[in-house]
Amino acid sequence: MGGGETLLCVDNLTVTLATREGTIEPVKEVSFSVGRGEAVGLVGESGSGKTLTGLSLLGLFPAGAKPPKGRILFEGSDLLSLSPSRLREIRGQKISMVFQEPQSALNPVLTVATQMEEIYKSHTALPSSEIRGRILERLREAGLPDPLTVSRSYPHQLSGGMRQRVMIAMALALDPLLVIADEPTTALDPTVALQILALLSRIRKSSGQSLLFISHDLSHVRRVSDRVLLMYAGRIVEEARSPIFFSTGPRHPYGRALLASRPEGATLTRKDGPLAAIGGQVPPLWDLPEGCSFAPRCERADDLCRSVLPPWKSEGEGRVFCHHPVDTPLGAPVHAA
Amino acid sequence: MRPDTSSPLLLAEGLVREFELPGGALFSRKKILRAVSEVSFSIGRREVLGLVGESGSGKTTIGRLVMRLLPPTRGRILFDGIDLTALSGGALRSHRRRFQMVFQDPYASLNPRMRVREIVEEPLAVHGIEPGKGARRERVAHLLERVGLSARDMERLPREFSGGGRQRIGIARAIACGPELLVADEPIASLDLSMGAQIINLFSSLVETEGMSLLFISHDIPVVRYLSDRVAVLYRGSVVESGPTEKVFSSPRHPYTRLLTEGSLSAEPAAPSGELRSPDSSASSVSAGSVSAGSVSAGEIGLCAFLPRCGEARPECRILPPPLYSDGEGGREALCHLLQGEIAWLPLHPSNQGSPSDVPIASSR
Repeated sequence: MGGGETLLCVDNLTVTLATREGTIEPVKEVSFSVGRGEAVGLVGESGSGKTLTGLSLLGLFPAGAKPPKGRILFEGSDLLSLSPSRLREIRGQKISMVFQEPQSALNPVLTVATQMEEIYKSHTALPSSEIRGRILERLREAGLPDPLTVSRSYPHQLSGGMRQRVMIAMALALDPLLVIADEPTTALDPTVALQILALLSRIRKSSGQSLLFISHDLSHVRRVSDRVLLMYAGRIVEEARSPIFFSTGPRHPYGRALLASRPEGATLTRKDGPLAAIGGQVPPLWDLPEGCSFAPRCERADDLCRSVLPPWKSEGEGRVFCHHPVDTPLGAPVHAA
Repeated sequence: MRPDTSSPLLLAEGLVREFELPGGALFSRKKILRAVSEVSFSIGRREVLGLVGESGSGKTTIGRLVMRLLPPTRGRILFDGIDLTALSGGALRSHRRRFQMVFQDPYASLNPRMRVREIVEEPLAVHGIEPGKGARRERVAHLLERVGLSARDMERLPREFSGGGRQRIGIARAIACGPELLVADEPIASLDLSMGAQIINLFSSLVETEGMSLLFISHDIPVVRYLSDRVAVLYRGSVVESGPTEKVFSSPRHPYTRLLTEGSLSAEPAAPSGELRSPDSSASSVSAGSVSAGSVSAGEIGLCAFLPRCGEARPECRILPPPLYSDGEGGREALCHLLQGEIAWLPLHPSNQGSPSDVPIASSR
């Protein structure tokens, strides 16, 4: 936990959904915590449940979801048992979200200023003049050099990077305690993505917010997170401190394989041989195998893995959901930053 | 006459592609967007050329020009010595089997109502290859196995496959006629991490064992570095740097290439003007009113398009268009004033600008 006080504690959260293919659990027995001022990275491929986990923290569940099981303790109170009006107060004010696609998360027919005003008007009793000042201040903090022009613009007049900065300004409007950023860099060009990552880190360090950074991009997670949570087929399968995850290496074979499947090393070219791709594909949630969900794709799997759910094994501040976790450290840091 | 095999398979010379932007008042001058500006490159046999750049850099347009899905405004594309830009209709079609494309979005580029067999068979039928039913079926089965699917998948529909599976179908279709050149536009951008590596390995083996050439268009630098023999870096429609992949990425000479490769956290420019929305680009952006002034005007007077974002600009960058420098034997080129006076780097003659000096211009007349 990095020594900090716990802000958020998710305890055994399970989300159940009825679909045409049958009942599925896209989030299954998920437990983790986020300390005050801490940045936690939630990594996984599409369908692993990382976005749904993030949305759960705002009390948002997909249509057809059954009442979720477990608890989400935020500053000690369980978000899952709060009244809708109390939940609304927390959303935006204490927990806010930055979405993947700023283009679709912003209202195309309202100016930036109008959309930001709405936030202040629905959550505070500030006078209009004060609100205008705060909007410009937030936009400037988000690295927009000409806040006045931006505030008068419509979303389509801004580039993808500028829109994402506006999204961040909006998420920070009310000084929330926790910001959830769901793939905030995925829709951006690589150089712009790095600027947004730097911005997120800088803001967090200066204002002490907690960050839950959801991404499939390991190199981005490495840049912003203190701690890493790895998800596969609805479950968290590993938790580790970032430096350990990326330099000693993940202990779950899936994490190892993910790191190895990217040509991130300095000189690796196709002449050196093929990439260590993970065979097969993520199993559909309505047809999960017995035992460990990763077993069919795992090099270390044996009969035990294919029949019995693995136990949690802890080591130091990390834990891994695996019968046969990897114990050898990585040869060299793989994701050279 | 076909030139010998030492000449490049594909040679693009001075490609320019302009688009007329919609909108504007009735009698106002039409706005022209130059998406590709004086781009030249070559691809040898069994060679992978990586084309990197941000959205709006013109990389997709270049892919479509090479495929002759789009005619260039100016410039030539020589495929095995034949000028594709001079061909049309049946003459062009007879050459099409030799260069094929793999698209970015495996969901949008496969007909959802066709079975896998029909999808992979179609190019064979179009080009009259293996007319016998049994032989064609056998060929489809072989192709599916080549891309990591199985003959059992023949009668299935695209929707029964994951993104990676669909991309394999797209690749099977592209290699059905035994092309010499594959053009792949962001082929793994929409795939999951664990799938991406499998598809990259497949491309790699098509080059190594089948001897295909590949134009690999991507914004994913580590993947381009892994797969490509040579690389061309695009910025706003111009190739700003090119050369052997390892040299370019290990010691980039153009400031933009440095920005791409270093991705340094410390240097966070406060929303540089270069981040303003770019006029070309995919999907969201064809509204003339919001075209950023910077790119168009800088392009018109020929100044370096990267100038607004460049931290190392010199006075001459604001007056003169950037010259093209070459390091001669090394096979590298960069379009930048900063190379002035560098040992081993010499400016190419302005009339040669944009054309690779190390490549003999193949003339098939």
